[in-house]
Amino acid sequence: MPAIFSLDPLFLGDAGNLEILAIVLAKVVIAFAGLMVSVMLMVWWERKFISDLQNRIGPNRAGPFGILQTLADGIKLFFKEDLIPDQSDRFVFKLAPYLSLVPAFLVFAVVPIGGDFSNGGDGLISVFGNDTYVQLADPHIGILFVLAMSSIAVYGIMLAGWSSGSKYPLLGSVRASAQMVSYEAALGLALVAVLLKTGSLSTTTIVREQAGEGPEFLGLFPMPDWNVIVLGVVPFIIFFIATTAELNRPPFDLVEAEQEIVGGFHTEYSSIRFALFFLAEFMNVVTMSAVMVTLFFGGPAGPDLGVLPAALWGFVWFFAKLFVFLCLFIGLRGTLPRLRYDQLMDLGWKLLIPLALGWVLFLATLDVFSDRGWTSGGERLVVTGVFLAAMLVFAGLLMVAISNGKKARERDGEEVFG
Amino acid sequence: MGQYLPILALLILAVLFAAISFVASGLFAPKRTTSAKRAPYECGVEPAQDTPDRFPVRFFLVAMIFIVFDIEIIFLYPWATIFRQLGLFGLVAMFIFAFAVFESFVYLIGNGALDWGPVKRAVRRELVDPGRTANTTIRRVGAEGRMEFDDVDTRTATPGEAA
Repeated sequence: MPAIFSLDPLFLGDAGNLEILAIVLAKVVIAFAGLMVSVMLMVWWERKFISDLQNRIGPNRAGPFGILQTLADGIKLFFKEDLIPDQSDRFVFKLAPYLSLVPAFLVFAVVPIGGDFSNGGDGLISVFGNDTYVQLADPHIGILFVLAMSSIAVYGIMLAGWSSGSKYPLLGSVRASAQMVSYEAALGLALVAVLLKTGSLSTTTIVREQAGEGPEFLGLFPMPDWNVIVLGVVPFIIFFIATTAELNRPPFDLVEAEQEIVGGFHTEYSSIRFALFFLAEFMNVVTMSAVMVTLFFGGPAGPDLGVLPAALWGFVWFFAKLFVFLCLFIGLRGTLPRLRYDQLMDLGWKLLIPLALGWVLFLATLDVFSDRGWTSGGERLVVTGVFLAAMLVFAGLLMVAISNGKKARERDGEEVFG
Repeated sequence: MGQYLPILALLILAVLFAAISFVASGLFAPKRTTSAKRAPYECGVEPAQDTPDRFPVRFFLVAMIFIVFDIEIIFLYPWATIFRQLGLFGLVAMFIFAFAVFESFVYLIGNGALDWGPVKRAVRRELVDPGRTANTTIRRVGAEGRMEFDDVDTRTATPGEAA
């Protein structure tokens, strides 16, 4: 039963209510504290790493290697004057930081961060005789919860900009909401590819499906059974680009393009209200990296190499994979120039969304035909060929439409030298 | 509903954290506000214009097209979890549905609904000699006086359109 629905057995067993409550509270407090510390370290590491990329030293005063710099900044912001602009909508202005921060926390609830998945392990750990997963919650909707929360975060940014009663925040928030909804479509479509393979929305099941050995690499050695390999690399790349845009990270940080619109949606925010937006932003980077690790890189699943107890290897693998993604985000910020708004929208709508949709249909077609007995190499080639031919027709159609749209706009365009 | 208990607990904790931060900030932060500080941010000068109430209609278009795609994605999720049971029937149905959405998407793109930014159209004027003439000794500079349009994008300009 739990194997299919993968619900947290903590709530299915016969543990007493008080016992459950105690375990839940302990998990929540640990997750909360862990998340705060990881965000603190992430902010410090980003500043330190980007300094190295730019030949600077970066923070080096507060604590060893400046590791307490974020804490010092946070404490400082408590002592800064909290301004509410005269032209703002006071209620919404105060509400917006909550809408931004709370979803950032909640996304982390469904991410499995540990547990032993090696050798067919189910990732359960035992806390005082009660089995539970090393994640806060594992509801039926699982990964949909991540999408729901990232949609709510759009409201925080939209309302923050709108309620400020100032032009730069308004511009920033309008840009932000258009950008975030555009890339949410691509994000959702790339996610469908994962569901095709897993057949379940539960994050624990998604991780368990990726444990063990996958296809052979050129017949030499088995690769891990990660979704990034099994699904072809395309869904992961789409998901990664869409996530970067969702997070408003460079090169998609038009929302906070300081050369054009000051600070974007949080221009009018000061003191602790700004700090909460900042916290939410970096927390989103950490949690969305964790979601990517879960969906495409097997989360905490990995081989048990001995030395440590088996249950600890889950943490090690998870944080190692997470760290790679965090460094990747910082590296992107250090190397890529910001996109123009039309380039951003074109990339999202005219490339990522059609490609993600086509890829999902391609994977489904292959699976359906192999279920019907078309398993030999030749038969798969036929299916692939026919599918690719059809997709080329649609891609051509899209290309014609794009060039038509461009022509129509140029016809109506403003004349120069006229 | 027990599965959602941890999420609820985390929600309460997160809201409490934000609320306590505000209270702490209220206790510690100085209150020396002036009307200049509370004015809309404008790089230190008096705002010359009010905040616009309107913004380009394209943003609304994006929101509407997003809803179309969101609905498609919502239909894809349940199908993706059980598409192996549905087999060929489900696949064909999904292809028809995806085609229906794609076709409207192509129509939108073809009308330039998702194009951004101002487009300029280069138009040929009556060409003049860039050199000195009997009327003026000023040598004309810039593209408008040149016999050639080498540097100018003339993709859309046709001789018939000359203004």
